[in-house]
Amino acid sequence: MQADLELILVHDGERWIAREGAHEAALVSAGRTLPELDRNLAAELRRRGHFAGACVTVFMGFDFATIPTWLRQYASHYFNRYVTLDLSQPAAEPDDDPGP
Amino acid sequence: MASTDTTAVNRKWYSGMATTEDWWAVWLGLIMFFAGLSSLWGWELTGWFAKTKTWSEFGDFLKPAGKAYQGLGQWGSFIVTYIVWTVLTCIGAWAMKLDLKKFFWGWTVLFLITWAVWIIGHEVHLKALKAPPSITQSEIYGDNVYCKTKVQKCTKEINKELKKMGVEDIRNPDPKSAAEAVSKSKNSIRMSWGLQLGGGASYLLALIVGLIIGNFIKPLAEFLKEAAKPEWFIKTAIVYLGIKVGLMSMKAAGFAFDLALAGAAATFVAYMLFWPLVYAAGRKFFRLPRQWSAVLSSGISICGVSAAIATAGAIRAKPIMPIMVSMLIVIFAMVELVVLPGFYTAVAPDQPIVNGAAMGMTVKTDGADAAAGAILDELMRAKAAVKGVIWEEDWILTASIMTKIWIDMFIGVWAFVLAIIWVYKVERQPGQSTVGASEIWFRFPKFVLGYLLAWFTYTAIAVIAPDLVKAAAAGAKTVQSPMRKMFFMLTFVAMGTVTDFSKLKGMGRLALLYGLALVIIIAPIAYFVAWLFHRGLMPPIVGS
Repeated sequence: MQADLELILVHDGERWIAREGAHEAALVSAGRTLPELDRNLAAELRRRGHFAGACVTVFMGFDFATIPTWLRQYASHYFNRYVTLDLSQPAAEPDDDPGP
Repeated sequence: MASTDTTAVNRKWYSGMATTEDWWAVWLGLIMFFAGLSSLWGWELTGWFAKTKTWSEFGDFLKPAGKAYQGLGQWGSFIVTYIVWTVLTCIGAWAMKLDLKKFFWGWTVLFLITWAVWIIGHEVHLKALKAPPSITQSEIYGDNVYCKTKVQKCTKEINKELKKMGVEDIRNPDPKSAAEAVSKSKNSIRMSWGLQLGGGASYLLALIVGLIIGNFIKPLAEFLKEAAKPEWFIKTAIVYLGIKVGLMSMKAAGFAFDLALAGAAATFVAYMLFWPLVYAAGRKFFRLPRQWSAVLSSGISICGVSAAIATAGAIRAKPIMPIMVSMLIVIFAMVELVVLPGFYTAVAPDQPIVNGAAMGMTVKTDGADAAAGAILDELMRAKAAVKGVIWEEDWILTASIMTKIWIDMFIGVWAFVLAIIWVYKVERQPGQSTVGASEIWFRFPKFVLGYLLAWFTYTAIAVIAPDLVKAAAAGAKTVQSPMRKMFFMLTFVAMGTVTDFSKLKGMGRLALLYGLALVIIIAPIAYFVAWLFHRGLMPPIVGS
């Protein structure tokens, strides 16, 4: 499946965090649940004016390197997800602070 | 949070080929598989490997596996073995982005501990089985004749000596001639006592040493941690077992096919019973949330840690869930490994294949299952040998691995089904995420590819070019036996090292549910289903 945007997904113990890259201006979004993450991501994309008014397919690949080392020998994959965000809907306030 | 240069995201079908342990088990497996296969062209590329001997005189521990390498001597071949495997595993560790310096030192110490234990386990009083004439004709031979190699070989040697001595009826020699033949036989030895543990002696010892390190010498366990990779080692060993199964299939293709088919059917039936029962118990009696119940059910029902991670990923659970469940799985698997081989041998000594298959469905994690299967194989054959029945080795182990491999392959499919149910039914969100079929591939255990390739290649040689069987078997000999057993030994020591029973503290309800489900649901159903599908299957008798 082709994605318009590719993000790396991790969990910090409390929140799901999706990040475009490591650089300072990178797109970052977070949420306590995945639906909340998606809502906040849509809001952030609207705020930045990316993909204005479009329907966007986002690929979120889980970064398995954040799983403890001793566990990696048993598996090398957690999950990836494709999310479709409709940015034509009115902007909503982010539910959660993306954090540093 | 990890920086981008350390991210491990599976985007493409070939993601992880150079960086995951699963794939590195395939690479280590195939390197030696092809080295062994080169015997078809008359080459001997694996004969440098040091092979353990059953020893009665201190210092006579090893020998090079191949005739062409006898000049190396025992310690020369040991050093070559260390160098070759250190280079190969360090390349793997580097590719997997492990701390290479820590891995190198950890590996070196782990390797030395493993070989020391392996050599001790080959001491004749621990390992040697009684020679068959000493069991069936103890009134002629005495009941104290033990054999330093395969027992049927001792019988042949004794008979040969009797013939040389001109004894006409070698089946009923006089006691004096029998005693002389025994003393002349190269591998027969008289001893006042022997534990008759076979190869199980080394395995049990390795496990005990590993557990002592993991639980009582924690600074050493920490030092070994970077190199103690039981799943990597066992997956590599399983690829080599594919060669063994291929060779066994050359001799007993029908039996191997029956075993594979019965394993598949039993696994499917058992799994369909395990998962819903444990899930229901978790929800109803332990009031666990849906996600916890699902992750725990998969962990205990399917293949332990991999299944717990796969299920947690499929239902998009927070990573803490599979991490906690995995701790339980690893520790309980060790308990099963210690208890079950002896238990099955004691209560069902005449059901070798049923016991093996039940082991594969009961013991979680590939490493613990293969370890338990190997110990069961040794203990059951040793017990049968006492009664004069000599089963061919490794069929019981193969039965335990066969069911486990079917379970492993099923993980991806089950995780995919769960993902569909969760995303589209349980936590349905309008316009939300979709599940790609590629998730099945990412969760497919890749080492199985190496196992199947090895198995089918040797089977194909037997079918297509039977005149090459002897040459193929000659090269495979070292890889499928001593090399594979070294990886079993490494697995046992490493597994003990990483098992810290104190981690069970604070697990409360989860640990209780896991333990109860294991004893009340998993073990009895697994045994019944294994019996249902494998009853009547027996390992071939040596020489039949």
